[in-house]
Amino acid sequence: MEKDIVDHCLEYARSKKIDYAEAKGQDTNVENMVLKNGALDAYSVALDSGFYVRILADGGLGFAASNKWTKEEAEKIVNVAYKLATNAKRKDKIKFAKEKAVKTVWEVKQKKKIENVSSEDKIGTVSEIDKAIMSQKINVAARMLILNIFITDKYFVNTEGSVISSHVPKINAQAIGITVVDQGKTEQLTFKEWGYSGGWEAFDVWKLDDALVKEVKVLQRVLEEGKPVKPGKTNLICGPEVTGIASHESCGHPMEADRILGREMSQAGRSFVYQGGPYWIGTRIGSDKVTIVDDPTLENSYGYYLYDDEGIKARPRYLYKNGIINEFLQNRETAAKLGMRSNGASRSMNYDREAIVRMANTYLQPGDVNEEEIFEDVREGIYMHSFTEWNIDDVRFNQRYVGREAYFIEEGELKGPVTRPTIETTTLNFWMSVDAVSKKLDFVSATCGKGDPSQGAPVYTGGPMMRLKGVHVK
Amino acid sequence: MSEIMSKTEDIVKKGKALGADEVIASTVFGEYRQSRFSNNQIDIGVAWDEYATSVLLTWKKRVVATLIRNFQDVTPTMERLFKLAKASQENPVWGGLAKGKFQYAKSMADDDVRDIEAPQEYVYEAVEAAKKHVGNSVESGGILFTKYEQVFQVSSEGPEGQDQRSAIELSIRAFAKRDESGHGVECSSSLKGFDPARAGDKAGEIAKMAKNPKAGNTGKYDIIFEPLFIGSMLGAYGFMGSAFSVLIKMSVFVDKIGQKVTPEIVTIRDNPGKHSMSNRVFDDEGVPVKETIFVDKGVLKTYFHNTSTARIFKTQTTGHAGLISPSPWSLEIDAGDMSKDEMFKEVKRGLYVTNTWYTRFQNYASGDFSTIPRDGIFLIENGEVKESWKEVRLSDNIQNLFASISGISKERIQVHWWGEADPPSLSPYVLAKNIQITKPE
Repeated sequence: MEKDIVDHCLEYARSKKIDYAEAKGQDTNVENMVLKNGALDAYSVALDSGFYVRILADGGLGFAASNKWTKEEAEKIVNVAYKLATNAKRKDKIKFAKEKAVKTVWEVKQKKKIENVSSEDKIGTVSEIDKAIMSQKINVAARMLILNIFITDKYFVNTEGSVISSHVPKINAQAIGITVVDQGKTEQLTFKEWGYSGGWEAFDVWKLDDALVKEVKVLQRVLEEGKPVKPGKTNLICGPEVTGIASHESCGHPMEADRILGREMSQAGRSFVYQGGPYWIGTRIGSDKVTIVDDPTLENSYGYYLYDDEGIKARPRYLYKNGIINEFLQNRETAAKLGMRSNGASRSMNYDREAIVRMANTYLQPGDVNEEEIFEDVREGIYMHSFTEWNIDDVRFNQRYVGREAYFIEEGELKGPVTRPTIETTTLNFWMSVDAVSKKLDFVSATCGKGDPSQGAPVYTGGPMMRLKGVHVK
Repeated sequence: MSEIMSKTEDIVKKGKALGADEVIASTVFGEYRQSRFSNNQIDIGVAWDEYATSVLLTWKKRVVATLIRNFQDVTPTMERLFKLAKASQENPVWGGLAKGKFQYAKSMADDDVRDIEAPQEYVYEAVEAAKKHVGNSVESGGILFTKYEQVFQVSSEGPEGQDQRSAIELSIRAFAKRDESGHGVECSSSLKGFDPARAGDKAGEIAKMAKNPKAGNTGKYDIIFEPLFIGSMLGAYGFMGSAFSVLIKMSVFVDKIGQKVTPEIVTIRDNPGKHSMSNRVFDDEGVPVKETIFVDKGVLKTYFHNTSTARIFKTQTTGHAGLISPSPWSLEIDAGDMSKDEMFKEVKRGLYVTNTWYTRFQNYASGDFSTIPRDGIFLIENGEVKESWKEVRLSDNIQNLFASISGISKERIQVHWWGEADPPSLSPYVLAKNIQITKPE
């Protein structure tokens, strides 16, 4: 990376009448392979590299990026960003919350360096997973496996004196369209992914062959034995995957301060939390068993970072605490508007995208019962281990999760599989219904969608098992 | 030959000299501009320029790809790519790149899109149009986006060509109150006739109508869909029409060529033509794009193919490469014979749904899905809007949704919105019967 060009951006920006400027260079070595129905469809490698400048001037923001690494181009994008900022002509001038300048270097270390794994071995690893899927006496009619590797170097500077360099390798594996057919009926794992910040040891952690063999066995069992649920009120125990998606969708997203302030109103939407509304910091949204944290600092997590893309030190954010709305996810702009401080939630996914408020690793904190105890009190209920279709409205209040792997519970015991049980309820009803949370915490990887143009952010969701009393399942 | 074309050709020659069987290089100089706004003010002006050549190389049916920035490090990058091909594995179903020399139509781009001096004026024009319905208390947000791309493409198999591609989109969502909103879009390839006020007018009109919404009820309803909603559904339907989706069973169209999938009144075609935001003259293999009939009077006619998937299905490419995965460029439903008013008169008790988001499938092979209507949702009784609704979900099956279409409007609108109504489409108002609506319990 040509850091002098990034520095030149900043120096040239200082020659303008600006309130603030930052510049960042980013190199990402990207590696991607697609294994479709057992055959390697394509393998790509590339260096994605470029830089941006963001300028605050006359209360407006301008952002410009390029992948042509020359000083002339640096000056060109500064001129463009300055013009865009001053063109805004806002009545309400944008300000940034005051934060300390930071000079640091940070990195994620690899136990097994990705760079030392040959292309042949990478293909071999994915192919072995595919073979494991096909080793069962199950008719898997289609499947696709994808491997993505991103090794990213960033160099960030701003006019307040911050200088931050980072080096982060991430690995991501995806299973798409795993389709089991039996007697003309199909069950499908539409999408599941695994993510890790670190090296090739990710595959030792994931054990994907075991995980995907289990998935196809579950699909087959649902086809053979699955029964629909009789709609009505029941007890629902959510596994970590379901706990995680609910934490992400109906806690993490509505706690994003940019949504709360309306900046995403036309795309990802707003929040049920807003100034003057029925919900704000201090309002109850769940039972006292519900504490949901967003923590970027979990080592090797998919959403890991130590400094955000505005140079702010990352820390855990307690979004819901004992059922009470506690803290929003903030960047410097939203924090200034709300009279608060940034808590380091500003993330950008590439050199050509502005940093916006994002989650990192959002999970329900473990409770005080073990997994046997969570089941033993349930005379009749449903255990939803994983989900397939899901969605939530654009203020994050009306949500729905459809079980992929789910079982009936009778007298505290797991029984046969349920075919696609569905919970469709409100955020308030969902979290208020939680009456028990288990001790064991598991994380699930996801790619969070937000931003325009869309920026897929690597995150963890997750949590322990949790029990919801008396919710409608259909 | 231009200098850029020559440099692009040099990349192809380099790959061939290394021993590759096929090489295709596509250089794109792209200029992208966006004004993001909310609460009636510009939040940020964004500009990003790209100078990049994407390269695909095959050797003994091993398919590898890379990206070269601004023609830097061509030789070492191509050497690494060829080495990767040697380390890679054969793709037994690779059918090769398109062969031959083609004549292309003239580029349809509008150079005026390239450098709009005061983009904020377009935004404020749309906001003012929304205010005319809602008043000064309107809260509106959205984007103005422009794209201008110069494309230089050379294939070792013969195709070579240049193209310019332009697009402009204004998307605005207007709120009269927290739960009273409407969404409008204005989408085109060209500044000619581009009218931001039209989008603001639509957003404001729906927001005003959406007054005092009540929580809706579960049930089966006849539904009139706005073009923006139909654009979202066409996106999902078109994705399933890709031969790639069919090969991995992420499609309701497996083994359905020649079968009836919708009523006879439905014809769906793909046309990346003059007015589409996806305008282009050739696909990623250099095959000339053309109008493709996807569903003809209710019958599924073809999947969307590149050369390789076409060979698997023993047919011809439809000009929809994507080198790995073909996909539709710009879908259209043919105009019907109804006016919007006539549609309303057809509905004794039903809904008028103006937009949706978060469409997710349980199973792409069966088509079971749900999606969440947002912005104006209205209960219709005896052809008239009776009341405004909120908090409902459309929970049905995509095969059933398209099979239940009973009316299509004469009026059609170019729509595109974020990732929700994507790819761009020319969508009419649609009436579909007996569609399942659910609500939170």
